[in-house]
Amino acid sequence: MSASTIIFYILAALTLTFGALTVFSRKIFRAAVFLLLSLICIAGIYILMEMDFVAALQIVIYVGGIVVLIIFSIFLTQKAGERLPSRLPKRLLWAILLPVAGLAFSSWVIFNHPFAQTGTAPIEPTVHNIGLQLLNYDQYGYVLPFEAVSILLLASLVGSIIIAMKKKQQ
Amino acid sequence: MKTVLRYLQEVALAFRSLWSGLRLTLYFFTHPRKEIITEQYPENRTTSINIPERFAGEVVLTHDENNEHKCTACTLCEMACPNGTIKIISAQVETEDGKKKKVLDKWVYNLGMCTFCAQCIDACPQNAITMKNSFELSVYNRSDLIKTLNKPGSKLKEKS
Amino acid sequence: MIQFSDITSWIHETLSGLLSPGLTFLAELVLAGVAVLAMVLVFVVIFVYMERKVAGFMQLRYGPNRVGIWGSLQVIADVFKLLLKESFAPDSVDKLLFNLAPYLVLAVSFMALAPISWAPGLQMWDTNIGVLFISAVSSIGVIGILMAGWSSNNKYSLIGAMRSGAQIVSYELSAGLSILAVVAMCGSLSVHDIIQSQADGWWIFKGHLPIIFSFVVYVIASTAECNRAPFDLAEAESELTAGYHTEYSGMGFGIFYLTEYINMLVVAMVASTVFLGGWLPFHIYGFEAFNHVMNFIPSWIWFFGKIFFIIFLIMWFRWTFPRLRIDQLLKLEWKYLLPLSIVNLVIVAFITIMGWHF
Repeated sequence: MSASTIIFYILAALTLTFGALTVFSRKIFRAAVFLLLSLICIAGIYILMEMDFVAALQIVIYVGGIVVLIIFSIFLTQKAGERLPSRLPKRLLWAILLPVAGLAFSSWVIFNHPFAQTGTAPIEPTVHNIGLQLLNYDQYGYVLPFEAVSILLLASLVGSIIIAMKKKQQ
Repeated sequence: MKTVLRYLQEVALAFRSLWSGLRLTLYFFTHPRKEIITEQYPENRTTSINIPERFAGEVVLTHDENNEHKCTACTLCEMACPNGTIKIISAQVETEDGKKKKVLDKWVYNLGMCTFCAQCIDACPQNAITMKNSFELSVYNRSDLIKTLNKPGSKLKEKS
Repeated sequence: MIQFSDITSWIHETLSGLLSPGLTFLAELVLAGVAVLAMVLVFVVIFVYMERKVAGFMQLRYGPNRVGIWGSLQVIADVFKLLLKESFAPDSVDKLLFNLAPYLVLAVSFMALAPISWAPGLQMWDTNIGVLFISAVSSIGVIGILMAGWSSNNKYSLIGAMRSGAQIVSYELSAGLSILAVVAMCGSLSVHDIIQSQADGWWIFKGHLPIIFSFVVYVIASTAECNRAPFDLAEAESELTAGYHTEYSGMGFGIFYLTEYINMLVVAMVASTVFLGGWLPFHIYGFEAFNHVMNFIPSWIWFFGKIFFIIFLIMWFRWTFPRLRIDQLLKLEWKYLLPLSIVNLVIVAFITIMGWHF
């Protein structure tokens, strides 16, 4: 077993542990912090796979942006410091059933998918190549999803502005 | 267009005002010998120390060269003092024409309780007391803090 | 002249002769870590002393001048005082997060040092996303501050943490955009490439007015990211006692204090790498004799000189300007710095496409 395999297993174990702690922690702020640690471990796996750019984006977007927003909304809620009430057994049943079903479905898809070898040479994951590929409209270009996502972001921006806008005095 | 110009003008003005502040502190930073006003206290206490005249140290009862003060023992300062620092002990004396008159016997000042608020100075109608700029007021014995301010043998200054 | 790369390759060869490749790698990791730790601690001690002296002179006083010659041992005395004090956790704090927060903040600011190029050939991790990695990692630091503020179970700490969160999340944008201006001009995020692209002149001279503007924006925004005055709303001692580290004592507080200065060091290093040419000497095109004299000054003196210049700039701000109010702070970012840096980035992109920079 090489060093990178050992590091991968350590990172994977940490990711799963922190993910489980996120779900099972009874203090909501602690859950947010465990989610953060889990996301950082995923960024570590990206670095292990030499996808530095994706790792950096993972940290910028999820850790620096989304988790901070989650923590902010926790700060602004009342009674956030108290322990959450214990779970209802009926909900617990669904909460176990649904993830297990999701896991079963996705592993069924993965194990039954015929992974074919392609002849195209792998692209170096430098920022330069990623940028060119992102705005490329040839085959394997990503300009359409890129534009679709930007429309989505624009819509959410406009929506948040409308929510925040002051109503005109009648 | 006008709003954009005004916006840019605002930014330029902000930089100008920030720069004027920065220039002043840079001047202070580069001219330490000229500008620093800190007293190197324990070293220069006998040489170059400069205590401003109006520094409020301890209360003194001013005496002139004939050993005369202006205190009429009206006890307004005693009433003005928030801490009970001042105790005026007066005595009744009989003047030559047979009138009884109140004169100052002891002006007792408890330095340990004084907060140097100078309200007694403001209250005094005769301007008999002032604040001295002395500041090394510590003593080894607490009873030394209770002082009698009128000098022995001093008397009220006659109104001219 | 001995180069730093010669020393590192000598160490590498000696260790490879003694140990197996895996152990060599581990030993080099430990050596690099210890070297950076020692370097950073020396820097921080110098910075704290410098900060006090600069503050003193700017406020018409001497600063520390009792312990040692010119007060030079004052910082060491203070560190010993902090080490001797008890690191105390109050009763109703969230003990896990309370004790974790300072270490998270410290680890994050050390991580940001990884892609820095200290001298020719002396770089721990030459990654192709260097500058992005630094700004990404330094955004984790805010989580430590939020953790400290929340787990202290104290309203001042909570308010300080929330202010700090709002501030860092907003100012990250304009700091990133101002670095992006240089990245757009030189076409690489790698620290090594950015330095190499400045061999014929630093970007602040080559990039015309837009780069000078983004340098100013970067210094302002990164001062805000370090939570330093005039943006120190997170600690605001006059309103919030000490903000998010109110409840910390002893070395818990000491680590937050240390982290502030390490963050300053990172900011100064990034600013000097991106805008002022890293360890490259100052050259004027056409003056061969002058350039030759400049080449004779060792690269580490250039790098440290630039670092101290930026640090002095940040300290100069701190001791000149009063603290901003929270609404003024957010107004400055969202109404002034961010729109201006977006416009600036567009201008930079235009200049790059037309090839107008040198």
